[in-house]
Amino acid sequence: MKNKILLPAFFLLALYSCIERQNFDQYDDLEIVPTIEASILYLESPERLLNEIPGQNFYSQDFNFDGFSVDAFSDRVLDGFIFYEIENTTSKEMEATVEFLDEGGNTIDTQYFHIDPAPTSLLQLQVAYGTGRSIEIIKNTSSIQVSVLNLGDNNSVSNLPDPKIIFRSSGKFRLRLK
Amino acid sequence: MRQGKLLLLSWFLGCIFVTAQNKQILYDFTEIPQALMINPGMSTDFQWYAGIPVVSGISFQAGSSGLTVNDLFADDGVDFNVKVRERAIYGMNTRDELSGTYQVELLNGGFRGRNPDNFFSFGIYNEGDAIGYWFKDYAILAFEGNADQLGRKFDLGHLKTRGEMLNVFHFGINKRIDGALTLGGRAKIYSSAFNFSSTKNKGYFVTNEGQNNLLANTIDADLELRSSGLNEIEDALDNDSSLLPGLLTRRLFFGGDLGLGIDLGFTYKLNKQTVITGSLLDLGFIYSSTDVKNYTIEGNATVEGIEVILPDAFSNSNDDFWQNLVDEVDALVPHGTNDKSYIYFRPTKLYGSIRYNWGEPSNGNMDCDCNYMVSKRRDNTKYANGVGGQLYVINRPRGPQAALTAFYLRRFGRALALKTTYTIDKFSWSNIGLGLNLQAGPVNIYVMADNLLAYKNLADSHYSSFQLGLNIISWGKK
Repeated sequence: MKNKILLPAFFLLALYSCIERQNFDQYDDLEIVPTIEASILYLESPERLLNEIPGQNFYSQDFNFDGFSVDAFSDRVLDGFIFYEIENTTSKEMEATVEFLDEGGNTIDTQYFHIDPAPTSLLQLQVAYGTGRSIEIIKNTSSIQVSVLNLGDNNSVSNLPDPKIIFRSSGKFRLRLK
Repeated sequence: MRQGKLLLLSWFLGCIFVTAQNKQILYDFTEIPQALMINPGMSTDFQWYAGIPVVSGISFQAGSSGLTVNDLFADDGVDFNVKVRERAIYGMNTRDELSGTYQVELLNGGFRGRNPDNFFSFGIYNEGDAIGYWFKDYAILAFEGNADQLGRKFDLGHLKTRGEMLNVFHFGINKRIDGALTLGGRAKIYSSAFNFSSTKNKGYFVTNEGQNNLLANTIDADLELRSSGLNEIEDALDNDSSLLPGLLTRRLFFGGDLGLGIDLGFTYKLNKQTVITGSLLDLGFIYSSTDVKNYTIEGNATVEGIEVILPDAFSNSNDDFWQNLVDEVDALVPHGTNDKSYIYFRPTKLYGSIRYNWGEPSNGNMDCDCNYMVSKRRDNTKYANGVGGQLYVINRPRGPQAALTAFYLRRFGRALALKTTYTIDKFSWSNIGLGLNLQAGPVNIYVMADNLLAYKNLADSHYSSFQLGLNIISWGKK
């Protein structure tokens, strides 16, 4: 008699089990979009060097920079910013130019900076890509060219300690991983 | 090939979404021969038994401690990204796990020796076991990135996982010492098809304000993923998936990594009606030397982008500053692979129980001994009722993990026994299980299911398990 009660109870348990409706298509809606940031380029020169190099063309260098063109980045980047910060404690007025070059060496973006002689406040600039300039610039950048013109003289010396021109930059970008 | 990969992926996911091996319903269910597998020192009264190959013992257990399928995929109108963020990314912690095991007995048998106090058992079973803890900081880094998180250390030690598939060949002895004490031991040979583990990772990734430049990204890593047997499987899947069954079969039958282990157990009657038991399972290791591939990353580096400091940089103005930076990081944080053999230990399990029995014994007329249902063992009186508690502990990468169980066992004559359990562990505090053992003549069938309250919506269950088996049992005849 007991068995007649217990065995049907197991079957009832089996019938009792159920699964509420699930919608696995929701996975398609999943968005994984992290924002990453890192430094790009740091450049510094003492005022002594500015005085040692005659003429305006103080410095020009083309830096290979594969960080933007690597597939893992360029295929996924949505938008972002590049931050520049220039600190000038020298007595020189200067002009800096940052150019983004593609693989063929063509300039695809240019940013000018006019730098007053010391004492001057920190020069900061934020350039938007994707929401401002085209994100394609970033995707196609293969190298960065930095040029600095000395618009001042070659003999004055700043009265600030350890006078330097310092260029700092970093990037902050959103990537679509899914 | 695609089907083969899906099969392998299914195995990984299957193991990852099944949970720890607590067989609390089966434990000390003395009517069932497979209970000997989790306590070789169980009190037995079989004359012999033979499991029906492949179906004598099948167990699957499924669950996750932090999240259910329903939490994410319920058709509730909540944005899926919000659910992932709130319930998974930030809702789970690093002790939450997706883990588990399955076992399928290929062969199982047992017989009583000439000395009736000795019972021998032997067999082969296939087992898969895997665990993955929630890699929280990796997930946050993937979903949020490192931006605007100055000073936050992403812990690379959050990656902890291991898994394996193996065959176990075993031979056990169960010996009645006296009327009160039964001891048992089981020797095991492991034959592993593959395994992987990454359990001792350390380090962090952090973004701070730079010393020179605006930001400094620092990585301090000591990471390792050890694997054995996976590459040939991957090759077979890529090139000719028909090779896979042969490859796995060969490895599972002594053609792969081998290891040794033991199980120990006892049953002791404190008095006529009170019994304590204990067992220690899979105290063993496997030596991995087949198709080994270990991945390592070790070192630390801080990067502030390309740094050009004049006038020093004039001397190397033709250098590729970017490549120099990449090379420098590679040198400071070398990563690579090696094929060094290694030893790994099996997840050891510990069971203990205390049981109080009462009620009319089911084999009251011991002197009868007139059919296969009646034990010859005078000390093996089976009371109609048993109540007690059990403890289960398993050794896991983040330390021991325990479960406590209260149970009630009821025997209905000689043909039917039921055991119901209430278990609390990290997966559930409302886990009620039920096991049924049916003896139809010499045929023994058992069915067990766990976390029954969750059956009203299985998708919302953190844990569920199912076990069944079919045996032929004899208690001996005159």
